[in-house]
Amino acid sequence: MKQDAMGSTDARDAAQAADLLVTVAATLNERLAVTADELARSQTLLREASDELMTAFRGAADRIVAAQRQDEEAQAEKNEEYGLVLDHLYRAVQHLQSHDLVNQLIDAQKLRVDKMREKLAQALSLAAPPVTHPDQAEPWIERSRAMLDCIVAGIQQIDQDAHGPLGDKHRQGSVDLF
Amino acid sequence: MKTILAVDDSATMREMVTFVLESAGYRVIEAEDGAQGLDRATATNVDLVITDQNMPNMDGLTLVRSLRELRDYKSVPILLLTTESSDSMKSQGRAAGATGWLVKPFDPATLLEVVQKVLR
Repeated sequence: MKQDAMGSTDARDAAQAADLLVTVAATLNERLAVTADELARSQTLLREASDELMTAFRGAADRIVAAQRQDEEAQAEKNEEYGLVLDHLYRAVQHLQSHDLVNQLIDAQKLRVDKMREKLAQALSLAAPPVTHPDQAEPWIERSRAMLDCIVAGIQQIDQDAHGPLGDKHRQGSVDLF
Repeated sequence: MKTILAVDDSATMREMVTFVLESAGYRVIEAEDGAQGLDRATATNVDLVITDQNMPNMDGLTLVRSLRELRDYKSVPILLLTTESSDSMKSQGRAAGATGWLVKPFDPATLLEVVQKVLR
């Protein structure tokens, strides 16, 4: 009799732990959905801003290259003026590249979030079917373990699959000639 | 006038590289991935190839290896311009036959210096 009561308490604790895991996984999945949405919005805003900047840059760049070609024999004074304008445009080139790199970084984050959401959904699906012997602790423990295994596999996979740029800031702009 | 092939799947990046090189008096041909780069390089002999690494269809290292198999490109300089900066990737680039490795974002003045140096 005492042993039955113990078994039933263990089963109740194990069922509560499994329920808690489901709640945590579901909540995390909801938060990740919000993150995915915000990343997509950030990317759209970045794209719109970059398109405008690129249009302005393109106009200035085309003009200076055309003017340079037209005045190949121009006097030194004019060449000096072109040089000054080019310096400004070169500075813009360096910073406009950030758009591309940040875009790639956001893509990598989106991939990470999507993969984690996929694994969380998979873990949640493991909790859907009813437990065969709900009065025993073991089936609940097995279910929790399977869900945790799925989540841990997801965490390991996202680091293998999603690589973003800008990994080493000190190497940006570096040159190696072989 | 020297002709340079710029290979990158990002239109923005191609535009930046093309502007910098054209402003310095070079002629630039563009390609949006390694496969297209290989087609362009076989259709027109170029003096220098600048390629990204991570691209669809054919990546930069595969492009380098493919170009090095062509008689016309045995000694043409090939530069990798990429966000990849690990030593292992650079070693692979060297082994594939690349002339140099530049990490994005590039400084236009530095790019021009390197281009002048390898074209000498």
